[in-house]
Amino acid sequence: MSHHSKELIKVTDATERIAHWILAGSCLFCLISGLGLMFHSWSIIPTLLGGYYATKWMHIFSGVIFAMALVNAYIMWWKECIFEKDDLGWIMQGGGYLWPTDNLPPVYKFNAGQKAFFWCLIGCGIIIVVSGLVMLSPLVFPVVIARWAFMLHALGVMVLGSFFIVHLYLGTIGNPGTVQAMFTGKCTRAWCETYCPRWLAEHDQDPNKNIA
Amino acid sequence: MAEYIKLIDVTKCTGCRGCQVACKQWNSLPAEKTGFTGSLQNPADLSFTTWCLIRFDELEKDGKLKWIMRHDACMHCDWPACVKACPSPGALTRTDEGAVIHNPKFCIGCKSCAVACPFGIPKYSKAQDKIAKCTLCYDRITDGKQPACVTACNTGALLFGRKEEMLEKAHKRAEQVGGLVYPGNPKYETHVLTILPAGIAPKDLSQMNPDPKMPATVLWWKNLFKPFTLIGIGGVAGASLLHYLIKGPHEAHEKKEGEE
Repeated sequence: MSHHSKELIKVTDATERIAHWILAGSCLFCLISGLGLMFHSWSIIPTLLGGYYATKWMHIFSGVIFAMALVNAYIMWWKECIFEKDDLGWIMQGGGYLWPTDNLPPVYKFNAGQKAFFWCLIGCGIIIVVSGLVMLSPLVFPVVIARWAFMLHALGVMVLGSFFIVHLYLGTIGNPGTVQAMFTGKCTRAWCETYCPRWLAEHDQDPNKNIA
Repeated sequence: MAEYIKLIDVTKCTGCRGCQVACKQWNSLPAEKTGFTGSLQNPADLSFTTWCLIRFDELEKDGKLKWIMRHDACMHCDWPACVKACPSPGALTRTDEGAVIHNPKFCIGCKSCAVACPFGIPKYSKAQDKIAKCTLCYDRITDGKQPACVTACNTGALLFGRKEEMLEKAHKRAEQVGGLVYPGNPKYETHVLTILPAGIAPKDLSQMNPDPKMPATVLWWKNLFKPFTLIGIGGVAGASLLHYLIKGPHEAHEKKEGEE
């Protein structure tokens, strides 16, 4: 079979992209408003959002959207993010990002790094959402639980916030051509051969299968 | 600025509740409807509109019945957990005088302080979506007056004055009655001290934390996770930029002819 490397291949459908952006948007809004509430010196954020009281409620409402988008993300992607044997090899070689490698195990749809980010998102997301729910009415809980909730909320953000930057970098300028998967949903054949060769092989067999 | 201390001498308290009334009056706090519960404890607890109250305990010590009446209100910690936990600047402040005051104008009703406080002092009102607590009558003490509760106390169970003077008085009085100065922890200073009668330990009394301290969860949250959120995000962003500058973007490689 002969293919052109610039040929565009549909890698995501609109549902997947919209789900991603609702999750990302609510998560980012929560992060920014939350940082505004965490650091007194960043009062510019609550000020721009209409004051601390408004920021509190916007943070809560955005958190509710985040929680729902998180459940949806889990349902959508958990199967494709289960670690498999080859993922260890990928991780041991740093995904090819850190030193030259030429025998990365071929990836299906998500590589081990993406899978790790997904599970980090799910894990931290659950911690953040559950602790956030406790923080809504902390006084109905035993004080120990309420105190742990405030602490774990910050811990979850610390971990997820840092990992998010990796996701942002590798999804955009770190891997040119990748970001299109979340905008137009179409990536080049060369991109697919590089990042998800096993998925591409299956796709070439049956182009209607395995999108989203 | 001088620091002040309020001294609560439990050995002198008769439970007249003059302090409760004076507090309500000075701070324009409405009375609460309460019921008879079979105890002299009334109202049952501090609330959004009850900033100080007499805690009543009935104890049996050495075969004898003992009644303890204890004035309870904000302890005005030297290093207050409530202020550390508060997200809204100006809502809770540790003043130079040592009083920890709340400003309803800036309170956003997040309840962080109520959770962090080792004494359970800040009380939340759902209707107002704010917290309130004793201010050590900051408006009075900065005007050279004593807190309203101290003014009303007619047995000398409540005293107010300069920190050094009150510390000395507290320890002298504790020695005299053979009791304890609470919290009495040099690592956890408060601007309210309680003198307990001989043979009475904090754990014997209701709503008295035997070991008040800054909660460890608040320290982990504010001293570790908070700075490391920025260090993490900033560090990873910096590392990503360095990766971009050194290794460059990872280009999708085109499959060469005949490779397949």
